[in-house]
Amino acid sequence: MTDTTSVLGYAWPMVVSPGEDVAFHLSSPSLSKADAALVRVRCGDPDPAGPGIRVHEMDASFERTVPLVHQIIRPGSCAIVADAPALTSFQSFTVGAFLWPTMPGDRAQTVLSRWREDAQEGWRLGLDSDGHLEFVVAAGGRTWRVATAAALLSREWVLAGASWDAEAGRIAVMVRSADPQAGRDRSECVEAAGPTALEWPAEVPLVIAAHASDAEVFGGFYDGKIDRPRVHAGVQPIDGLHRLCESVSFPMADARLVAAWDFSREIGSDRVTDLSAHHLHGRLRQMPTRGMTGANWDGSTDRWTDCPTQYGAIHFHSDDMADAEWEPTVRFTVPAEWRSGFYALRLRAEAGDEPVESFVGFFVRAELGKPRSKLAFVASTGTFLAYANSALRLDQVHAEAMLEGVLTLSRDDVYIQEHREVGLSTYDTHADGSGWSISSARRPILNMRPRGNVFNYGNDTHFIDWLEETGQDYDVITDDDIHRHGVQVLAPYICVVTGSHPEYISREVWEAFDAYQRGGGRHMYLGGNGFYWRIAYHPTVPHTIEMRRGMTGLRTWEGEAGETALAFTGEPSSTWRSNGRPPQRLVGVGFDGQVFTHSSPYRWLDGAKDPALSWLTAGIDLAAPLGDFGLRGNGAAGVEIDRVDWSLGSPPGTVWLATADRLGYGGTPAPEEIRTLHRGVMGDQNAQVRADLVYFPTANGGAVFATGSIAWVCALSHAGYRNNVSQLTGNVLKRFLDPTPL
Amino acid sequence: MLVTYPEAAHWPIDPDRLDLVEEFRRQPRGPHGDELQKLLHRLRWAGDPDQPGRYVLIVTQPGKEWMLGRLPRQRGKPIELMRNHVFTSIAEAEWEVFKLRWEAVTGRTLPPHLSEKLA
Repeated sequence: MTDTTSVLGYAWPMVVSPGEDVAFHLSSPSLSKADAALVRVRCGDPDPAGPGIRVHEMDASFERTVPLVHQIIRPGSCAIVADAPALTSFQSFTVGAFLWPTMPGDRAQTVLSRWREDAQEGWRLGLDSDGHLEFVVAAGGRTWRVATAAALLSREWVLAGASWDAEAGRIAVMVRSADPQAGRDRSECVEAAGPTALEWPAEVPLVIAAHASDAEVFGGFYDGKIDRPRVHAGVQPIDGLHRLCESVSFPMADARLVAAWDFSREIGSDRVTDLSAHHLHGRLRQMPTRGMTGANWDGSTDRWTDCPTQYGAIHFHSDDMADAEWEPTVRFTVPAEWRSGFYALRLRAEAGDEPVESFVGFFVRAELGKPRSKLAFVASTGTFLAYANSALRLDQVHAEAMLEGVLTLSRDDVYIQEHREVGLSTYDTHADGSGWSISSARRPILNMRPRGNVFNYGNDTHFIDWLEETGQDYDVITDDDIHRHGVQVLAPYICVVTGSHPEYISREVWEAFDAYQRGGGRHMYLGGNGFYWRIAYHPTVPHTIEMRRGMTGLRTWEGEAGETALAFTGEPSSTWRSNGRPPQRLVGVGFDGQVFTHSSPYRWLDGAKDPALSWLTAGIDLAAPLGDFGLRGNGAAGVEIDRVDWSLGSPPGTVWLATADRLGYGGTPAPEEIRTLHRGVMGDQNAQVRADLVYFPTANGGAVFATGSIAWVCALSHAGYRNNVSQLTGNVLKRFLDPTPL
Repeated sequence: MLVTYPEAAHWPIDPDRLDLVEEFRRQPRGPHGDELQKLLHRLRWAGDPDQPGRYVLIVTQPGKEWMLGRLPRQRGKPIELMRNHVFTSIAEAEWEVFKLRWEAVTGRTLPPHLSEKLA
């Protein structure tokens, strides 16, 4: 068994141009050093039935032995407001906010604090380990605490606050339930003895959704939403606190208002804004989810851009993780002559009984405006990020039934089960059950590297392997670059290929492909379930995406009502189909189902027999099944599949070449394919669950060829690369690289 | 919040239906008849409620060797590796897991001719 996890790392940036620097941030809890080599990835799938791991060691000036240290990842999001005189210029005070806790009773959690855990000094409002609201003030070795009798309910809004009356020597906590009916009421106010004077600790930040464990580390992370937190230098009863929290502007400022944060400002950023005269603005760490419905959301809109004041909540998670914050271990300048491609830092060591071989994936892009080939292959980096460290099979009840067999887990899965601090994927839920909507590359990504679990990245390397095998030169470009520079990235190429699963697409990427087609480009889409989900990239942080699953599509979690708009940009998310752009419109076919029992061959249709398409079918027996072999289910049509649908925008000029429409009981339709519930929807009875192979010419001599199946590229290497899937792919590529108009 | 519940699969399993066991043994990777599909759905969906975790396979050699394990239902808790249960084919592993699950859900031991390893 190869140990793939004793050393882990990430490359920053994740995509680099020839001549630029890349830093590798590495960590090992057990190794003090490893042998390092830079490799170009040809095939990252270790399956012995296929080409196996094929990497080419680069001749690079590089430190062969890298020293390793253990670097900690500290998940958990919070807002940090730097210490300021206004935060210590009072004695009596009131704090509070609207809360929607998601894990009350799981462990102690801090909501609002100016507290040092190591010194046990300051104040904090939070939930105790049983879920009661508690308020603690402490100084000079003395602690005063008060808590509610009842635990808060999960996913129910409450106004929650606390006060300290120095003059009376009393502290209080107060809760008012937004919905006090039918057993949901948790309203209560509890008082207890408190101090008459306190000396506040020096140089402690005010923290929202956590507290300062010491001078550098934060702890006590809260799970759930916080809306409109307030600090007031006076003693307020719950009605007064309620008025403070309901107010969203403070034109006649009460001089005692210390801070009133409005999370509905600058939703696309990591900044939190204080509306008080003190300007106690803060910064978010580890990217909690913004643009979330507040306690005042009334259902009049489902997008925060329409009415930001109803979106003043941030959903904090104790497991949010956007930046591992590891120190760089080694830096490398990519030689100017390196070809673009999938690359990795390979780390090897001997430790105990098992050899260690762990890769850190990164990409070298073809520099903008400097193509070295007529062909570009797109690294679907948006999709790689969406799937980064997926724990779907570990956490989700449906996984084994969906995959039609006992789960087979890799060494990486074993690691992720134990080490959730690496951060999960947009397929997963946070510990509190809410959807994981943000994914970044500033962390080890175990399934974006050779030997990683094969889905998207690993499958796509089968196409790279085929290009290398057939001697075809190519450039590699990435979603991240297409998003940034648009069609300029695609335009220099006569033909652009997208891989097995280009599923996660920003508006900018979609429009770049559309513009490329209009400009006469040739697009080979050799995958399934492509151009499906609408995502956004972070406005300023590279290689960071956001998606909201919404209420439709094949979703492994469902967002909350009103929360389908992306915080990064304000755009709607969910599927492109529900955004008026079904994939059929762009690539002729669109997602319709999955099949994990087995994959199938296609059968040729009359469309393929047009003599005008003899270049496409040259050397292929149209009476024989197309792709009755392959590494994914022993067929070229399977896993996730797409079909033609004229009503969803398949172009009138589409030539329907072949179909795989007899998928058996394992063919399961996508949820958005079914209007109402009835029997007979599975692949053994439903002809709409199928994979279609299409071709159509586009403007200015361009064209699109689409296979509608994830399994396609995993069939290319069958029988020494001499098979009809390989032949057809080669025929199309050859013609698409010929500039003669199609 | 949309939740999937492990107890949702409730197709009634008849412990006398050894014909379904035999059908699975003949072809662990399918295709399967309607009733065996339902039986498998129940077993796979429920995820071994009588065990400390769901039975899973850990790849020890890609495409060649797998080890039985139990995946805890709690995040962060390590997967239990059952080092004396190693398989050299997925079909063999499927059959072993099927037997464990059948016996757990029916409370009956399989007769000798159905309790052997897959040839």
